[in-house]
Amino acid sequence: MFLTIASWTALAVLLLGLAYKIKVWLTIGIGPQARDLTPGQRGRAALGGLGQLLFSSRIAPGLAGLLLDGIVQRRVWAHSRLAWLAHQLIWVGFTGLIVLHALGGLIGGWLPDYYATLNPYLFLRNLFGAMVVVGVALAIYRRAKVPGMKVTARPTDRVAIALIAVILLSGFGLEALKITSHRSFDRMVEEFAGLPDEQDLTGLRQVWARDYGVVFPAGTELGDATALQKGLALNEDTCLSCHDQPQWGFLSWGLAQAISPLSVALADAGGEKFLWYLHVVASLIGLALLPFTKFLHLVTTPLLYLVRAAVPREQLSPANLSTLRALELDACMHCATCSVHCSVATALRETGNLSLMPSEKLAWLGRLSGAKGPAPTRRELALVRQGAYICTSCLRCTNLCPAGINLQDLWLAMKEDLAGQDLGPTQAAVRQAQWQKAIPSRGQAMVRLDDQSFQNEIKQYYLADSFQQCFKCMTCTNGCPVVHMYDKPQEHLDLLPHQIMHAIALGLKDEALGARMTWNCLTCYLCQEACPQGVRVADILYHLRHLGGQAAPDLEG
Amino acid sequence: MRYAFFLGCKIPHYVPHYGISTRAVLDHLGVELVDLEFTCCGYPMSHLYYKSSVYSSIRNLALAQARDLDLATPCKCCYGQFMRTLDVMERVPEFKREIMSQLGEEGLVYPDRIRVRHVEQVLHDDIGLEAIKPRIKRRFKQLRAASLYGCHAIRPSNVTRFENPQGPHLVDELINLTGAESINWAGRMSCCGAPIREHNPELSLAIITKRLTECRDAKADIMIIDCPYSQMQAERAWAQPRPLADRELIYGAILYPQLLGLTLGLTPQQLALEKNTPDAEYLLSFLE
Repeated sequence: MFLTIASWTALAVLLLGLAYKIKVWLTIGIGPQARDLTPGQRGRAALGGLGQLLFSSRIAPGLAGLLLDGIVQRRVWAHSRLAWLAHQLIWVGFTGLIVLHALGGLIGGWLPDYYATLNPYLFLRNLFGAMVVVGVALAIYRRAKVPGMKVTARPTDRVAIALIAVILLSGFGLEALKITSHRSFDRMVEEFAGLPDEQDLTGLRQVWARDYGVVFPAGTELGDATALQKGLALNEDTCLSCHDQPQWGFLSWGLAQAISPLSVALADAGGEKFLWYLHVVASLIGLALLPFTKFLHLVTTPLLYLVRAAVPREQLSPANLSTLRALELDACMHCATCSVHCSVATALRETGNLSLMPSEKLAWLGRLSGAKGPAPTRRELALVRQGAYICTSCLRCTNLCPAGINLQDLWLAMKEDLAGQDLGPTQAAVRQAQWQKAIPSRGQAMVRLDDQSFQNEIKQYYLADSFQQCFKCMTCTNGCPVVHMYDKPQEHLDLLPHQIMHAIALGLKDEALGARMTWNCLTCYLCQEACPQGVRVADILYHLRHLGGQAAPDLEG
Repeated sequence: MRYAFFLGCKIPHYVPHYGISTRAVLDHLGVELVDLEFTCCGYPMSHLYYKSSVYSSIRNLALAQARDLDLATPCKCCYGQFMRTLDVMERVPEFKREIMSQLGEEGLVYPDRIRVRHVEQVLHDDIGLEAIKPRIKRRFKQLRAASLYGCHAIRPSNVTRFENPQGPHLVDELINLTGAESINWAGRMSCCGAPIREHNPELSLAIITKRLTECRDAKADIMIIDCPYSQMQAERAWAQPRPLADRELIYGAILYPQLLGLTLGLTPQQLALEKNTPDAEYLLSFLE
């Protein structure tokens, strides 16, 4: 009764969750093309697109993609053999457990001699379970050992692993305790052996203690050799047809050996019931929460494999592109492959900004688009923007993503969305902030010769103190291709290169950092090459920007 | 001849034709390119994040040296970044120590004997013009080519040691090798505008447009580029509506390996001519 109600409840929550997710996929917009589309239009486009895919020649490449990416897992294989092994073990093992064990009650009728305690089911259940155990152990090992994976580990990753651990441990624990439990023995005798006489029963106990690992309370009568013969006969009559040797359940059998000294106490304390409830409740929680955890990728990722193999991205309609992008947010299972191989992960130490890592950026995109989690605060947005613009669009994460998510497309769309919220390139924002800061004193700056702090800031960089050699000959300015772009360059650039060198000498930080020349420098090094005084003009302009860059995460307050 | 091939971040997505044609030509000339998992060279970060950029450069060089390989890159901005980083490491010992300890955390050793080569140097010096010459099967004729030298390779010249910044000739000699004529023009030592592309797109576009106009004024047929950033800039200018990128300006921008590859007898497909903007098949009409 409990099982029925709990199962239906979990199933109902699962279906409601999936319905909610479908609504999200049809509602949230990533990229400007999504703006004017209604969920209804997107829903119709999605159904139409899927229909076209399923009933045309496109289904062939689609299914091939599903087979190679989904079953063979070639994308994971290309990335890491160990990750491939872990993933195959987990998903094949879990699928086996779900079909032969969790759904055993439903489909058992179609299977020959379906009894949990008979082979092959007894053995296979342990085999599949062991596969998941090994796979999860490998996954934990990788998460802890591979640098980019450790740094991106999230509480939700741990919760997911913990839930699987509870399901597995309670399952194996329950089977182990059932093997050793005298109470289970008594219950089974009552149910299946009729009313055996006392000598038959003691004999049967002897057989099960000897051959099946049952542990009876101290002082229980097990009978003599005659009783053994009777017990064996009774065993053959009533038990054997449904019981193979428990050693076939090798993992549970091992565990049973380990717990046998405690077996009587555990069984008397209701351990079996407890473990059964724990196992069922944990499994059903996992099922019910599926749409809200990374295990949703069981649904989303295969769908993505199918679609991406069948239809090139550029052929998708704006509506279906929007929906696919939304779906991709839920196809990520946070394996962190992208972050492990990210080209710009080297900026992590200096910026301390985890949101530059693709796996984390994707989570931010979820929050930014309203798909999951609260909207980012202004401060968080500044970090997200910094991360988004450190990305060099090198395509590596997209090439590697085991789920086949087109991350490159998402990053480019994300930048468009950020720009739509007045969050353009970091450099433009820093430039703007510095320019604003310089406004009050622009044109009437006081010389701050007594304040050496700014000069000291600049001098921390190699040979940046060469600004002191400048004698304002204007060679730098005269050769500058940016200056050449304007008839009245000062109106567009605030200060010219030689004036910036001079401003540094005068300690005018806001003016030097706030000048648009500083931020529009092309780094062509014509100035530095030509300087008769050996002033490292281009390098110094770089370093001014480096000083500005340190403030990047604080721009939005 | 073997190199660790440093493709850089821009080629895979934005300028795949450069990667394809460079690999095809170097392979044809017997150069082996080894692909390692590099990170960003540090140049894109260098605008705001100095230490990250320096560490990125050194880390890549350390990876190549660990395999006993010199490094070859088709990107002039990557090349300049590596050279500038090596220079500052040489001159600032305490910074070098800091970087070395960071390398140590990753089990890497400071790259003290690596050579950084741009693909043009590989062709011109390491393979050598004399060795390429006999392999040439067809030559261009009456093709006026304007080379854009690429700021980050030539300057600061005492750091990049690419060649004489006053009278460079390396690219001219490479171009002339193919039968095309390398012409002198106003902007050949100037900037393509790429470094400010993201945060000041208008000015960036105005600068590359000016370069293209200068090419037209010098009666160039094509621009020759050996840097993904400059190629992105030129192609972006062509993608603009007229008159910014008037297609009568010049035919288009060609990556040098594409030019050389055609004379070596490689096919347009091997050189990915169709991936250029505009499609570079017009080059074939200039072949003898």
